[in-house]
Amino acid sequence: MNSARDLCPRRPLVTIAVLLVGSVFAPARLTDLAVAADVPRGDHGAATMEYQLRQLDKLMPAADVGRAPPGFDQVIWEASIPPDNALTPERVALGRKLYFEKRLSADGTVSCATCHDVTRGFTDQLAVSEGIKDQHGRRNAPTTLNVVLLRTLFLDGRSPTLDHQARMPIVNPIEMGMADGAAAVRAIQDDREYQAAFQRAYGREVNYEDMGRAIAAFERTLIFVDSPFRRFLAGDRSAISSEAKKGWILFNEKARCVTCHPMNTSDPLGTDNRFHNIGVSARHADFDALAKQALRALQQDPSEQKLDELALSTDMSELGRFMVTKNRSDIGAFRTPLLLNIGITPPYMHDGSVKTLWDVMDHYNKGGEPNLFLDGGMEPLALTEDEIDQVVAFLFALTDERFAGQNSRQFQAQKEQARKERPLRDDEMAFRLKLAFEK
Amino acid sequence: MDNIFSVAHVRFILLGLSCAVMAVVFVGCSEETVLTTCDGSGKVTVASDAKGQDLADELMAQWKRDHPESDWVEQEKERHELKPGADNSALLEGGQADGHVYGQHDKRDLILWARETEKFVVEGSRIFHSGDLLQSTVAVSCDMCHPHASNTHPETYPKYQTQLGRVALLRDMINWCIENPVRGKHLKPDDPEMRALEAYIMAQRIGTPMTYGKH
Amino acid sequence: MKAKSKSIEKKYAEHRRDFLAGNNKKLDRRSFLKVSTAALGAAAASGVDFCQSFQSVSVARAAASSDVGARFRFAYISDSHLYDKKTNDRFARALLRAVEDINNLDPQPDFVFYGGDLAQLGRARELDLGAQILESVKAPLKMMVGEHDWYLDMGRKWRELFGEPTYSWDHKGIHMVTLNSVVERDFWTARGMTAEERMMTVAGLDNGVQSPFSVGEPQCEWLEKDLADYSDDTPIMVFSHSPLYKLYKKWNFWTDDAEEVQAILKRFKSVVVIHGHTHQVLTNRIGNIHFHGMLSTAWPWPYAPEGVPELTVEMNRPDPFNPNDGCGDGEVHVHADGLVDKVYNLWNRKPLIFAKAYTASWGGEGVPPRPNRESY
Repeated sequence: MNSARDLCPRRPLVTIAVLLVGSVFAPARLTDLAVAADVPRGDHGAATMEYQLRQLDKLMPAADVGRAPPGFDQVIWEASIPPDNALTPERVALGRKLYFEKRLSADGTVSCATCHDVTRGFTDQLAVSEGIKDQHGRRNAPTTLNVVLLRTLFLDGRSPTLDHQARMPIVNPIEMGMADGAAAVRAIQDDREYQAAFQRAYGREVNYEDMGRAIAAFERTLIFVDSPFRRFLAGDRSAISSEAKKGWILFNEKARCVTCHPMNTSDPLGTDNRFHNIGVSARHADFDALAKQALRALQQDPSEQKLDELALSTDMSELGRFMVTKNRSDIGAFRTPLLLNIGITPPYMHDGSVKTLWDVMDHYNKGGEPNLFLDGGMEPLALTEDEIDQVVAFLFALTDERFAGQNSRQFQAQKEQARKERPLRDDEMAFRLKLAFEK
Repeated sequence: MDNIFSVAHVRFILLGLSCAVMAVVFVGCSEETVLTTCDGSGKVTVASDAKGQDLADELMAQWKRDHPESDWVEQEKERHELKPGADNSALLEGGQADGHVYGQHDKRDLILWARETEKFVVEGSRIFHSGDLLQSTVAVSCDMCHPHASNTHPETYPKYQTQLGRVALLRDMINWCIENPVRGKHLKPDDPEMRALEAYIMAQRIGTPMTYGKH
Repeated sequence: MKAKSKSIEKKYAEHRRDFLAGNNKKLDRRSFLKVSTAALGAAAASGVDFCQSFQSVSVARAAASSDVGARFRFAYISDSHLYDKKTNDRFARALLRAVEDINNLDPQPDFVFYGGDLAQLGRARELDLGAQILESVKAPLKMMVGEHDWYLDMGRKWRELFGEPTYSWDHKGIHMVTLNSVVERDFWTARGMTAEERMMTVAGLDNGVQSPFSVGEPQCEWLEKDLADYSDDTPIMVFSHSPLYKLYKKWNFWTDDAEEVQAILKRFKSVVVIHGHTHQVLTNRIGNIHFHGMLSTAWPWPYAPEGVPELTVEMNRPDPFNPNDGCGDGEVHVHADGLVDKVYNLWNRKPLIFAKAYTASWGGEGVPPRPNRESY
């Protein structure tokens, strides 16, 4: 990958010296996360909280939280911050503290940073996440990078704001497992530091809703949009490889990606914030029976907590957005994920069932998985192997340069995996040699 | 899949090709071949190893020379109604034209402008209504979703086009439609076909206020 | 229909029937993949307070009251415009999606009505493909002809496959008539057109060379005779490809002798006309006649620049990225008095329902939600 090579040092001794000095003074751009093997890991495979905090400091020097980060559209930034939770340094600091706070889990082993790990793309790079008592859910953890621009949260959009979403996992029985908001408050309300921090941030006592607000405030500062692709768009023609450039053209044309994954100067995320059924669930779900089950359960207990539980711990998770809107057109639909930093957030899709970006391309190339509710925009694409490589090269160029090392390691690892097997590949469908109803 | 040739022309092509084949057979292996149309109305000379399309083209050209009254523009207008362009007769009034080099226009100017514009727009209509001319690989033409260029809304550009993920002009959306539903060949922005299509689409929308950004 | 050896679709349909019958059996992954296009929708109603047919839950609850008194229901598929598979597979896939939708209804409708324009260019192989695909429809099938089916060979192949285009029958107290309302005055002989050219001319919606649609005198006479024995109280349902009223002549959303046909129908207490051709949500009422359009499976038409009836609540302007948007299939719930609830099952959208109260009250009650994205 060109971007990795460009940043790779050629003179080791000088580099070490620079890094030593740089880690103290220099901007984060020169720093990269340590080689994976060196990372000290704790509960549930996450890097230790202390280590993560140190990495975060290296990645993000203190900034003026009152303004949009440099290069970020100011108008869009302002529109993305709710009026009752303006960003202040106190709120961001509180949120940061809470993000890494394991006491907010029932057995003291899980914090936000467990599944949204600074060293693992701010997600956990697992198919589905692991919570307290080593329980596993049904959904892949989205990254907390750049979430400020998302219009709804959770893959089925059941949370209308980041403030609301941030506090939900705390009370989910298989994630952090607290009985309710009160229990979460009890866990930290005797801590002097927290009492002071809450007062400074919101002028209130420790309370559950402000926990969500603070964490959200902190997450809104996690802006990592400085990818090689950004430099390319700004005019640096050598910022991405020629393969990636061809991939960008395919992205806009033959591969039909841009309609659901739009990327522009105002919103570089690569998601339309809408919900689409692309057929991933159809590989292993019986929608009819599930939908009936879901309605029965929701009729008995229509609370948001029940919905939260059902979404994660039962087969009904596959129904996606339908669980929220109960519209037939939303059956099996999930929110388009964002594409920024996609290289370092495998595995892919709502259930983490797709391992590499090559597999992702295979899925789209054959027109997704046919099912009654498939989004009509899914079509066989007839992309050749070279074209798939080009789009994948482009996708890997969307990672912030502070993660360049990890990105190139991911690229190599995924490439190896893709060389071994491509389980979703189906040339007959992709090239319309056989049509769905003929197989 | 619209057919740009008239009845007589189609018949003629078939006849011409079969005549051409016969002519080649009879003339044998000489460098050039003389083809005679079966109705005897013309002769053309072509290379003996010319491809069928070239033979047809040559015979077509000869036929056109022999039948200069055939009017493609009128035929296309009969098939697909064309909205008339602006009325410029006000240019002929007033008195300041006299002695004004650049302000002098006469009736024949108006006729010339209207006629040239009409031909350009009609060309666009021909392409718009033909999957073949759009080089569609799935036999889809624009009029299948946009009869008389309805729902093409050229007056709303520039605007953020959701299908493209960015701000677009009319020609960007034309290209998108060609690539996606029509599955034809991507056109360059100044391709004559692209310009003709734009012309037709804009012509059909005469009288609509410009409302950029309207979704 | 002709007897055939088992087509792929037929085998496939049998496989699906088995799957549907053995609903509780756990399918192994391979067999499930085989029937994955028959993946069951949330359409199976059996008992639970869930969707009836295409309605989402909330709508079903609301419509339940209007459903009171619905005598029976039938489903419809229309305007598929098939090319042969090699030329264009998209329309064939869409028709199959419609067939899947209908086959998944529980309980099954009384019959399935096909609204015309099965083929795009009237070719034998297009009609054959359509007939093949429709063979997998479980419920009894009633066919109607459209102009795209007719004008290549003037209905020869259609008659071979589907019989006479004009016929009538009675069903649960409703007298139903199917017309061939796409009769055009001969415009082709004088111009020396070939059959191919005639078909291409008719196939262009905005092609001004063709003549307007009509029912024609012979059929009007037939209609009068057919209706002669029925009292004025008998609910009548007329199926017609063209709208049977005059909407927009330039696109042949038009029936030239609409007034004559309406005059024949005038004496009846209630007449419902279900029509195709317009590929959109369309509602009208003229006197005692309630008109409802059918969706196309192939592509949506824009709304005409003028002439759209006041009663019509338009569908949201479709998004061209999704070739299924603005398309779909649907149902008609017929009440004892002959009036209907018209269900438009728009793919990837919430269904639109026009309850009988809407046209009965001239648009005063039961008004469906208005579009957010209007026609340009």
